[in-house]
Amino acid sequence: MNRRSLLSALFLLTIAALILLVVHLFAGAYWTRIAIVIGIYSLLAVSLGLSSGFTGVFSLGHTAFMALGAYTGALLTLPVQVKQSTMQQLPGFLATTQLHFLPATLLAGVLPALVALAVGPAILRLSGHFVSVATLGLLLITREILLNAESLTRGARTFTGVLPLTNLWWVFLWGAIAVYVSWRIKRSAIGREMFASREDPLAAQALGVSILRARLLAFVISAFFTGIAGCLYAHFILAFSARTFYLPVTFEVISMLVVGGMGSVSGAVLGAVILSGFKEAVRVLEPGFAIGPIRVPPIYGLAQIAMAFLFILFMMLRPKGLLGDREIGGLFWWDWFRRRSASLVERS
Amino acid sequence: MRRLWLLLIVLLVLTLLAGACGGAKSTQSPAKAPIRIGGVFDLTGDLASIGGPNANGAMLAVEELNAKGGILGRPVELVLRDSKTDPVATGTAGTELVEKEKVVAMVGLVDSDLALALGPVCEKAGIPYVSSGATSPKLPSQIGRTFFMAAFGDNTQAAAAAEYAYKELGARTAYVLWEKGIEYTTILAQYFQERFRELAGPDSILLVDFYMQGDPNVPGQVAKLKSLAKQPDVLFLASEPDDSGPVVKQFREAGFSQPIFGGDAYDTPLLVEVAGPVTDVYYTAPALLAENAGTELGKAFYRKYVAKFGHPPENAFPALGYDAVMVLARAMEDAGTTEPKAVIAAIEKIKDMPGVAGNLTFGPSLEEHTPKKQVAIIRVVNGKLTLAAMYAPEKVPAP
Repeated sequence: MNRRSLLSALFLLTIAALILLVVHLFAGAYWTRIAIVIGIYSLLAVSLGLSSGFTGVFSLGHTAFMALGAYTGALLTLPVQVKQSTMQQLPGFLATTQLHFLPATLLAGVLPALVALAVGPAILRLSGHFVSVATLGLLLITREILLNAESLTRGARTFTGVLPLTNLWWVFLWGAIAVYVSWRIKRSAIGREMFASREDPLAAQALGVSILRARLLAFVISAFFTGIAGCLYAHFILAFSARTFYLPVTFEVISMLVVGGMGSVSGAVLGAVILSGFKEAVRVLEPGFAIGPIRVPPIYGLAQIAMAFLFILFMMLRPKGLLGDREIGGLFWWDWFRRRSASLVERS
Repeated sequence: MRRLWLLLIVLLVLTLLAGACGGAKSTQSPAKAPIRIGGVFDLTGDLASIGGPNANGAMLAVEELNAKGGILGRPVELVLRDSKTDPVATGTAGTELVEKEKVVAMVGLVDSDLALALGPVCEKAGIPYVSSGATSPKLPSQIGRTFFMAAFGDNTQAAAAAEYAYKELGARTAYVLWEKGIEYTTILAQYFQERFRELAGPDSILLVDFYMQGDPNVPGQVAKLKSLAKQPDVLFLASEPDDSGPVVKQFREAGFSQPIFGGDAYDTPLLVEVAGPVTDVYYTAPALLAENAGTELGKAFYRKYVAKFGHPPENAFPALGYDAVMVLARAMEDAGTTEPKAVIAAIEKIKDMPGVAGNLTFGPSLEEHTPKKQVAIIRVVNGKLTLAAMYAPEKVPAP
């Protein structure tokens, strides 16, 4: 990585960190919550983009990894007394351990990654629609297992008492790491193999690219970050069950990725920001608002309708997403910044 | 491409403008400044069929309070938000209400899972939150001292069902079917079995079966029951509102004529709509709201509801929404202030307060934040709802 791209990445990170600092210090709990939600969805979209976007395996089952990450993380951070009173049937090691958030989150990423490693070789040999249906099967199977493993997950009953450990900085940290990893992979040889396997599998194979290896690597790393997002989500909503991680979340994340651009890391973030932000902006309007003298009555449900409408609009006007496979990463803004400052210097 | 960006930016600017301009600011003096009570209800999403009526009941209560001069002489304002039957949206709405709208108290939500999303927000802000329909008796200990329930706990209604079946219907054996996938039906069935076994003996539950959430097709379960040598006296079928109709229908069509018992989720027009003019179907509910049946308060509420909304109450949830607001009103009047700690202490002192959904009694311990209440046992006779009894269980399983 050359100096220019390193500087530009640092530049972008600094801007982002500054914005978050402002939010954290001045904006209050409401805006902090919004930022956390947008951050978690960005992480989910970027992770999905690494697998579905780069390798073209349209995964409908990534929420399974989110669920596994959520349960793993929550089980590991739950205080021992709570476990003793509400989950007496936990196996030995889990029942007596309480981990700090960082190791718990890491393990919450590792478990789904191992699952992805295990099922990947079977699923990822399929192509096109078949692999999508297979990933959907993964989601359904995971849900059933979580519902029935009552001693570990409380089954259908709500998993409560999760410690509120997620904050803006953890979300930002993991998001930044995921974006960095995705971006590096995209610009590397293995990343090019992933895109090749997406564009023309036969040609790629003819050139010696192992489709399965490319897909599996993307799948596993994607599962790791999705699991981490699940863990962050769990420690944010504090109470969840197997039904929290099902089709609605799946479609939300897929729409964000598609709107942003499936093969684009910055696109995934952009899609998450746009859709989440727009949904919340409209939700604020739901109780009714006034434009000058005209008073609009409450319209509950407008946020969901607006989000669907926006998605359809994008599919009509820009089916490849806002960015397609391109990026508007640090380089773009760094060059813009330098050009602006250069012209300012010239004029003075 | 330019078009799309332009459209996006215009949309976003409009949205932000509207959000910034929305809502008129109150210019009244502080003494007459309205008392703002936050209300988060399931107005859209899976629970909209009960969340909507629930909110209507709360709105009716606020209107009635204002007609009588408000609380402590100040007008009452119910600041409504939609939970979207989603925990993230619920948490965001709650935070918005507490931080931006500066509400002094909170009501709303019929689902225990969503109450767990809203509860901690109110607990952190220290403001009292009276849930207008959540029934898990564990909630107060999970959320904290600011949390109260206007509804009975699931342990109470299951105990009432078990005792009524045993004492009034003479049932000595039972069959239990529960919906797997949500907390409510899981614990309802567990509490029923616990109480029924206490009354009728350890072998009184002949068969326990389940069906997966979202799949109320139960021919296999029906066949399994049919194959039993000894048939049960009563069938306890713990289902969600949407599933109650299909499940009851399948059992009746299969030829089972013994009494069927359900929980408060049966309190939906869908039960009779889907199952048809069934008979001998009982369920526990907060109240029976009808023009010519039920308690006096219930009948009066029915008339008020029809007058305001133009149609009868869809189920008993409006009564709970109404009672939740009235509990807060009573506590504020008793305390003489809207200061949260005083209001919380005042709610804890409420004894035998008349409510549309039964009398409410609270107490200082967390367990007593789930009120002691009577349970309405509703009996469906040829598709018509009648109030079989207002029943207070003698013994309630521990949460």
